[in-house]
Amino acid sequence: MKKLIVLLLAAALMFTVFAGCGGNTASSGGATPPSKAPDKIPANDSPATALDPNNPVTITFYSYSLSYPTMRPGMEHLINNFNETTGKEKGVFVKAIEDDTMGKYQTDIAAGEQVNVIQHAFSVLDMSKENLGLQAYEDIFPSGELSEHISHMYENAVELGKIDGKTYALAFTFSTPILYINGALFEAAGLDPNEPPETWDEVAAYAKRIYESTGKPGFALSPQNGWTTEGLFFSNGANILNSDRTEAMFASPEGIEAMEMWQELYHSGAHALGSDSEVSEQFMSGNAGMLIQSTSMLSGIKAGAEAGGWKLYGAEMPAFGDKPAVPVNSGSALAVRSSSELENLAIWEFIKYVTGPEGYTIITSEIGYLPLNKDIVSDPQYLKPFVDENPIIATNLRQLERLRPVTIWPAENALELRQIFADAITKAITTGNDAGEVLTEAQEQMNALLK
Amino acid sequence: MDYSAAPGLTGAIPAVKTGVKRKLNVTELFTVKSLRVLKPYMFLLPALLILGFWLYKPLINTFYYSFTKWTMLPGTKPEPVGFANYLKLFGSKDFGTAVKNTGFYIVMLLPFSVVIPLILANVTNSMKGRMKNVYRALFFFPMIMAGVSTATIFRWLLNPGTGLVNILLNKTGIIDGSISFFTQEETAKWAILLITGWKMIGFSTVIFSAALTGTDKSYYEAASLDGSRKVRKFFDFTVPLISPTILFMVMMSILFASQWTFAYIDILTNGGPYGTSTNIYYEMYKYGFSSMNVGMSSAAANLFLAVFGVIAAVLTTVSKKLAFYDN
Repeated sequence: MKKLIVLLLAAALMFTVFAGCGGNTASSGGATPPSKAPDKIPANDSPATALDPNNPVTITFYSYSLSYPTMRPGMEHLINNFNETTGKEKGVFVKAIEDDTMGKYQTDIAAGEQVNVIQHAFSVLDMSKENLGLQAYEDIFPSGELSEHISHMYENAVELGKIDGKTYALAFTFSTPILYINGALFEAAGLDPNEPPETWDEVAAYAKRIYESTGKPGFALSPQNGWTTEGLFFSNGANILNSDRTEAMFASPEGIEAMEMWQELYHSGAHALGSDSEVSEQFMSGNAGMLIQSTSMLSGIKAGAEAGGWKLYGAEMPAFGDKPAVPVNSGSALAVRSSSELENLAIWEFIKYVTGPEGYTIITSEIGYLPLNKDIVSDPQYLKPFVDENPIIATNLRQLERLRPVTIWPAENALELRQIFADAITKAITTGNDAGEVLTEAQEQMNALLK
Repeated sequence: MDYSAAPGLTGAIPAVKTGVKRKLNVTELFTVKSLRVLKPYMFLLPALLILGFWLYKPLINTFYYSFTKWTMLPGTKPEPVGFANYLKLFGSKDFGTAVKNTGFYIVMLLPFSVVIPLILANVTNSMKGRMKNVYRALFFFPMIMAGVSTATIFRWLLNPGTGLVNILLNKTGIIDGSISFFTQEETAKWAILLITGWKMIGFSTVIFSAALTGTDKSYYEAASLDGSRKVRKFFDFTVPLISPTILFMVMMSILFASQWTFAYIDILTNGGPYGTSTNIYYEMYKYGFSSMNVGMSSAAANLFLAVFGVIAAVLTTVSKKLAFYDN
């Protein structure tokens, strides 16, 4: 008998080991939903095809903005507002999930979790469409309402999320790099912050003047900025890849000229050194005269300016001589996955809200991203008071017309290509090496991969 | 513990032997007698299952994935690609640097994980009363701080514009201008090394202190009577007496140097500038999780396993030869 018990115990133990492994954990871990969420997501498989406020449908929203301290409060406010107003009224509850790696949605889809709305980067949208079962807006949302909603948005922004004529992601948060200016340091150097530098030559001259009169670096742009660098190439008439993305071509005379200009400025002593976060921290603490950085950092930078007691100004990205400056955009779009009619309806309510007037009012005024809804900027009910108070937003909107999307690296070697490019820029700018040689070498390496 | 008191256990061992010699038929398998044959295995079973499921199954999978191309996403299957992942790995831009840096971190961490802690442990060991524990607690403090907080604090300290280190270096006239520690090739690797080392000192000091507490004091008393000097006592007694611990720490330091540096590389330099501070662990992570390239990541993991397996084997042999056990 005793032995039988032993045997049974062993069998039971074995069973628990396997049961423990195969079990699906309901929690999605890590993320704290901004408002109280039900412990378990109820299965949305009821046959009803209309939303019912008494029996709300829960959908999930994977957002990387939630993982940035400067953006989190605004994004939480947006989601909570939806849950408390439209969501409550219509019967939709959005469970927010922080996607700090911008890849949690992939692993959660792989693990079979419910992933409905994703704040998605443009550069890898095509890959997700193929692999993650993203659905086209035209296929699952009411067509009349969809075209009506999109007609209020900036067309060139909406176009970016289209693949083969269908919308696989709707433009959501957009930003462009702008030139932030520390008014106090400008004035200390005898410069007028209302007359910002318009060309790179002026930037260099102003930076030098600020450095000489205050001892603080006059200009900051990290060589490891991730995406702004491409705007320098474009502004000087260079390209990163050719139009069908089969050849790298940034080591052209124009490209090399742009980098040599930056290299010279970087080593002049008037340029702040360090990584992207280090130079931003320097600017925010009032220790740099100018900074080129994404508008999505606006709320954080503004807070820094207020805490330090100096006035923040903004200007458009500088140009090379009389060529027009071409800023690049970074940003996200909303990609969707739905498993039922009811979820379609719930997701659509959320999308309409966050990309509508209420949504963009919060996104722009509390995070700093561009309002992609055309009507609300001049509407006193929504953004007009904020835009009047923050002329930086107008700067940003002016840039939207000349915007060029960041390079989408060909999927096969995307990581390697991006890394080679980024490393070449860092090497060309921060070392005393010949910029032309560094860029040409990197271009050859990339072309070998692109073959 | 007296195992003879457990009759079931001692009885089972000879039964295994007979079981091997004579095959059991089906009816016998279910008899109580044959249960005795199976019993030791039943005891081992839970441990074996857990080990098998969490350790060996993934290990075999990793080996298999290294010959495939896969993104881990649902609906996709690994496709076999032969040795392509290994070839691509050897040909990738930063692989050579990663291997060199792994060596750099291993060798340069040894002073922090062995030499300095040994001195600190020895000095604090001869202290009297409460001060001994106060010092040891101070040394151990960095170890209990979370890696990410440590990294952030060092990033502030070493900030090129507003960091205390740059300000001090400028005030004292050692440098003019500022050093961007994490974005310059000459300093990035060293900064990572110093931060990792700073954190390691405390851990090793505590381990060595524990070993020193267990040493026999009579050797030192005898040596003192003969008028032996402190340095002499350190090399003649302390080092041999705690040699097993020293060799253990050397092995730990060599095998884990890559893991310990990982967090700081990820947070502070991302392997940069232009791949000059990366190590093999970070490269593995980059392939596996930034680009969801399971094949490349597994190939790197396998190479890592092979190389470190050899190192571990060599070290275990060496440590058996060199260690001195005082009992």
